[in-house]
Amino acid sequence: MMLPKIAWRNIWRSRIRSFVVIGAVFLGVWAFICMMAITFSVSLGYVDDAIRFQTSHLQLHHPDFGDDKASEFMLDQDIYNQIKGNKNIIGITERTIVTGMVRSSRGARGIIIKGVDPQTETTVSEISESLLEGKFFTEEKKNEVIISKEIAEKLKLGLRKRLVLQFQDMNKEIVSASFRVAGIFKTGNNITDLSMLLVNRKDINRLLGAENAVHEIAILLDDPTADLLATQDKLKKEFPNTLIENYREISPEVQLYESQIYISVSILMFIFMLALIFGIINTMLMAVLERSRELGMLMAIGMNKLRVFGMIVLETIMLGTIGAPLGMAAGWLTVKFLNKRGLDFSEYSEGTEAFGIKSFLRPELDSEIYFILMVAVFVTALLASIYPALRAIKLRPIEAIRKI
Amino acid sequence: MSIISANNIKKTYDPDKIAVHALRGIDLEIKQGEFTAIVGPSGSGKTTLLNIIGGLDRPTEGIIKIADTDISTLSDNELIDFRKDNIGFVFQAYNLIPVLTAKENVEFVMVLQKRSKEERDQRTKELLEAVGLSDKTNKTPSELSGGQQQRVAVARALASKPRFILADEPTANLDSESTAGLLDMMAELNQEEGVTFVFSTHDQRVIDRARRIVTLVDGKIESDETR
Repeated sequence: MMLPKIAWRNIWRSRIRSFVVIGAVFLGVWAFICMMAITFSVSLGYVDDAIRFQTSHLQLHHPDFGDDKASEFMLDQDIYNQIKGNKNIIGITERTIVTGMVRSSRGARGIIIKGVDPQTETTVSEISESLLEGKFFTEEKKNEVIISKEIAEKLKLGLRKRLVLQFQDMNKEIVSASFRVAGIFKTGNNITDLSMLLVNRKDINRLLGAENAVHEIAILLDDPTADLLATQDKLKKEFPNTLIENYREISPEVQLYESQIYISVSILMFIFMLALIFGIINTMLMAVLERSRELGMLMAIGMNKLRVFGMIVLETIMLGTIGAPLGMAAGWLTVKFLNKRGLDFSEYSEGTEAFGIKSFLRPELDSEIYFILMVAVFVTALLASIYPALRAIKLRPIEAIRKI
Repeated sequence: MSIISANNIKKTYDPDKIAVHALRGIDLEIKQGEFTAIVGPSGSGKTTLLNIIGGLDRPTEGIIKIADTDISTLSDNELIDFRKDNIGFVFQAYNLIPVLTAKENVEFVMVLQKRSKEERDQRTKELLEAVGLSDKTNKTPSELSGGQQQRVAVARALASKPRFILADEPTANLDSESTAGLLDMMAELNQEEGVTFVFSTHDQRVIDRARRIVTLVDGKIESDETR
């Protein structure tokens, strides 16, 4: 058919004007991809960190354990053994959770004391890999504690220094015990780092007066996208008297971050499309008005309005979408490069980490976003074509060409 | 048999404000095979008459029939289709499609008529040969002279096998040599193939070649002379 040929050639009649639109689409798509990749890496990084250091994918608690973290609300000891063989679970651990005080010679602060099993904890949490100094517990030593760099700085503590943990035991009596710093970690999220410290579960259980106390079972799944809700439901049925929460329920800010990603993508895409739509309409209106004589002639010699409409729509879509694949290719390459090299915000780490945002990012973007973007550009061009095309078919041949 | 039949055609512009009576009751019959020039001073209504005959404008009053079809009753879209199949246009400013080659310009109306590729190729070749441009098939309008562009326009007008060709001052932008060449070519098409031509013109060279001259003055036919 001749229409696509005419539409394509028409684009190149005013090269500079067309290149301005193509360039705008190219830059817009490129910038959008880069911005989205950074936004995603910030947001998903936050979610990912929360899972790796805090929440895991699923957690089991006594229904009354709640925010008070009262020691008497413990889990049934059999639950762990019943769950651990589940094939879509790649990590599982038991914890004893106690709220208390950490005290050094230089200060004191409230803290969540996590009693962990050093062997199984590493299958669920990556704190052991975030150690800046020391070791993640030693087999033979008692009363070791792993603290964050932030706590170490606040309480002026260092490796092998002593601190005192104070909390209530099972009989509601205040217990104090001296612990030695075995390791110092840093997760990159100040909020996490300042909220907790880790001790060996055997030590804390002994001090609590409950050798087999379990307050929390944390689970890491192989494929959370597919299995999270199904596994949660399955466990809820198996253990109806246990509170089983996924990471979004445990940490609502994680859910907020996840949903915020998609809201920000939508808003940015809307702004981008709006800017694009006006640019394209402007260019195509100019083209239609400049060619009114020619369009009138086409209608005079027998090109019906539907064909004229189609030609302008086709031309607009071609003009609007030429830049998109080029912008996508450039965006893809830029994201690849940034992913390989990394984006270092360590100069501003104090600020970023206070909000739980990493200071070193490796931007990346799902292929799905590229597809959505291409569809968005196409739809934008299609919408932008309607007004100029309507203007074109409203031309009357007699007026457009003045006279035959 | 008449292929164009105009009966008491009146055209008034802006009838609600200051009325301008461009045509004041035209009766005109044009038969198959005529070579007619519509002449007259500026403002005499010849362009308006051609626009109405060509279905580009509608009369305020009167009936215009093209081969027994009253085109004043057709909708805009029906008129477009009617023009495509029945009327060939040659414009003063050539008005070729600038992004298409000579061949593609000639072929264009046949594409709209959904003719087969073979038929289009064959007819385009014949027409470009007939207008003496078989060596310029792949040139775009900007690569052709004014006379050559107008020849392509004539070939395009003929491509749809119309009942007649309307030409508005076709020689207005041409030099003497191109004018003579174009007129020779159109006269030949008229005489040998029976193509009906209706011109509006000021050009004495065209008037000299016409076999029928309709003179308009103030929207009325002052004389209708057949040679």
